[in-house]
Amino acid sequence: MVYYITAILLILIGMYAILTKKNIIKIVIGLSIVDSGVNLLLISIGYIKNGTAPIFSVEGLTPDKMVDPIPQALVLTAIVIGLGVTAVALSLVIRLYDHHKTLNINKIRKLKW
Amino acid sequence: MRKVTAIFVLAIFGFYMLSVFLTIPFGEKRDNVGQHYLANTVKETGAVNTVTSIVVSYRGFDTLGEVTVLFLAATGLGAILFDKKGKKRRLQHASLIVRVGAHLLYPLIVLLGAYVFVHGHLTPGGGFQGGAIIATGVLLMFMSYRSFETSHKALIYIESLAGIVFVLAGFSGLIWGQSFLQNVLPLGEPGRLLSAGIIPIIYIAVGFKVGAELTGLLDNLLKTIK
Amino acid sequence: MNFSPVHFIAVPLLAAFLIPIIGRFSKEVVKLIPGAVLLYLSYVAISLYPHTLQKPIVEIIAGFKPPFGITLYYGPLAAFLVTMIMIVGFVIWLYSYKFIIREPLEKYYMLFLLVIAGAAGIMITGDIFNMFVFLEITSIAAYSLTAFLRDKDGAEAAFKYLLIGSFSSTFYLIAVMLIYANTGTLNIADIATKMQSVPNQPKIFIMILFMVGFGIESELFPLNGWAPDAYSQAPSPIGGVFGGIVVKASTYAMMRFAFVLFDFRSTFEFILVMGVITMVIAEMSAMRQQQIKRMLAFSSIGQMGLVMIAFGVGTDASVQAALFQIFNHAIIKTLLFLAAGYLVFHSGSKKISALDGLGHNKPITSFFFALGALAIIGLPPFAGFWSKLYILTSTAKGGFLTVIVLILISGIIEAVYYLRVVSRLYFKKDVSKDSVRRTPLSGIVAMGVLAIVIILIGFYPHLILEYIQPAAHDLIDKASYIKFGLLN
Repeated sequence: MVYYITAILLILIGMYAILTKKNIIKIVIGLSIVDSGVNLLLISIGYIKNGTAPIFSVEGLTPDKMVDPIPQALVLTAIVIGLGVTAVALSLVIRLYDHHKTLNINKIRKLKW
Repeated sequence: MRKVTAIFVLAIFGFYMLSVFLTIPFGEKRDNVGQHYLANTVKETGAVNTVTSIVVSYRGFDTLGEVTVLFLAATGLGAILFDKKGKKRRLQHASLIVRVGAHLLYPLIVLLGAYVFVHGHLTPGGGFQGGAIIATGVLLMFMSYRSFETSHKALIYIESLAGIVFVLAGFSGLIWGQSFLQNVLPLGEPGRLLSAGIIPIIYIAVGFKVGAELTGLLDNLLKTIK
Repeated sequence: MNFSPVHFIAVPLLAAFLIPIIGRFSKEVVKLIPGAVLLYLSYVAISLYPHTLQKPIVEIIAGFKPPFGITLYYGPLAAFLVTMIMIVGFVIWLYSYKFIIREPLEKYYMLFLLVIAGAAGIMITGDIFNMFVFLEITSIAAYSLTAFLRDKDGAEAAFKYLLIGSFSSTFYLIAVMLIYANTGTLNIADIATKMQSVPNQPKIFIMILFMVGFGIESELFPLNGWAPDAYSQAPSPIGGVFGGIVVKASTYAMMRFAFVLFDFRSTFEFILVMGVITMVIAEMSAMRQQQIKRMLAFSSIGQMGLVMIAFGVGTDASVQAALFQIFNHAIIKTLLFLAAGYLVFHSGSKKISALDGLGHNKPITSFFFALGALAIIGLPPFAGFWSKLYILTSTAKGGFLTVIVLILISGIIEAVYYLRVVSRLYFKKDVSKDSVRRTPLSGIVAMGVLAIVIILIGFYPHLILEYIQPAAHDLIDKASYIKFGLLN
């Protein structure tokens, strides 16, 4: 239960950073926090009390003592995707800094909605 | 004002989300496709690591997409930072202790990474984890030796060839079997290194690819000119 | 060799992986590869189409039966849309061939191929998590392409797009995990059978998350803040890619989920209302724009609002009208973006006021722009006329009279701002001095192909209607989606 709350809190903290922070690096950090929160949430859905890793490494392990493997596989994919987005975001930050010589989003924002 | 609005909106969203998640019992076994995988993975794929069998075999198509995402990130970063790449990394000289330590650790880290992705179907880990470990080794060398270089050409070749191997492994299933990415090799005896059909081949390709791509990303970012 | 829907994803990926190696030897070959790939895939799409009419092609990946493995569902709807994006993609490639001269060329073509592969993946996959992966492929390629010119505004537009897009993917992923926790499966057809047993509270939350997630990508108000910037700052052919390919993919996903997973009345009412608001606000904003590509972007949002309205009405006739409008929007808006690309290039400015008199100086490009403008307003005898007519009649049959009035008013606003640009092109004194640079042949052929299609469909709408009817049935018929999707 507390896992859900923690993960959701992480998501909210990340979103708060994205919505309110002025420094674009901090916004990218917010993105990563949201990603981590989502990944933790996904993992905690698959948890089973007293479960072990879903690997049949030694004889005698039975499936009913193992945690759900699907969320783990999905998280693996989600982490890599999060990394990809962060990499592109950081390269854009470098470009923005290059053009504007500042990381403050208020001084960058020229294109209006 | 902006902060208050943000907190207000997020509080509502968070409350709603939490109340929905609390309807999902925590830590209980549910009847879902995961149970099918746990029960049949060794028989169907020959891999003892269920997560690997899902990532590479049952949901191998996701992994192809995932590899593409990483490739895409490297490409996109290269396109956005094109003409920003300088010759040298802008780092301070590392101390002697760091340099000697890095030199000793580097081969071991690469070896560990290779071990992790080669044994992906047997132990925790796999291509992504192994590739990431290798990239951390390279990063350590980047940080300690300003003159340490990776061959740009070699990275491109590894990246592309590994991707091509993955797609061709997929097509081999289409040609010799019934469907894309289907296993066409013998499954072998579960628990042995040479088992689980095409899983190790794909994971080795992924390991090389991820290692090369992350190295390329780090190289690009560290060499960006101000 | 037997064609299979998996080619739409695997072949572009293979080509994208090959491009860096080939790029070391010859840049010219790299420029030809995407064209060859898209031509081949158009051929595959056309030759697969007759098979989908008898029975949707359900392709199993990795040899595991659904719901345990990933499946591709290639029915008439997917066939229709995939054929459309492959052909539009080919035309955009033809245009890019001479238009994109900026390095790094091979990266441009890799991103271009992957954005199309991702969009095709969204349309044909039968698995929600797999759809997430393709959604991300499409978006990351789109972010990078937005910033491809590496100028000030491009980077800013791309960063904004990335932030909004990552909200979209977060919401989508949360929805996927809620669905998995509640139904225990990821296969869309399997989820559809188990959705009834899900309690109402999670179900509504999942629906909201999906609508917000896809609403961002399909430019639904108020989530479309990224669109005008991204459209106007990306290279012009990429504007066509956004309008003709990316947006269509996420609209498809939204509709598929609305019809298969959440087929309760309030979903469609919600879509209808959002569509109306989107359309009215976008058309009014388009009116005020000073830059031609921003104007086209707002017009694109407005058109997608129209599509949403038609989907929201939810009857068989209106879904057909919506698909017709999707097709028309794809070809007409692409033509407009391609023509606007060269108009901007020749006039040297993104401003509408800089286009004065270009109609005399650059007659061919201006002609194509004018043709596209007349077609998108919905004047006969162009393609846009029929889809607007069908939307109006089907909405009338559904009994939404206020909506009809609003559609007509927006249509008038649309006519005003498009005709304003066209009249500037033809009835103002020529101010440009540039008479040396010409529109290259590949660009003219690309625009010409689209123009011919627009006129042809304008005169013979049944040419395309026979493809739309089975596609609409495929979308509405939930029972057959479940039956074939689970291979029963």
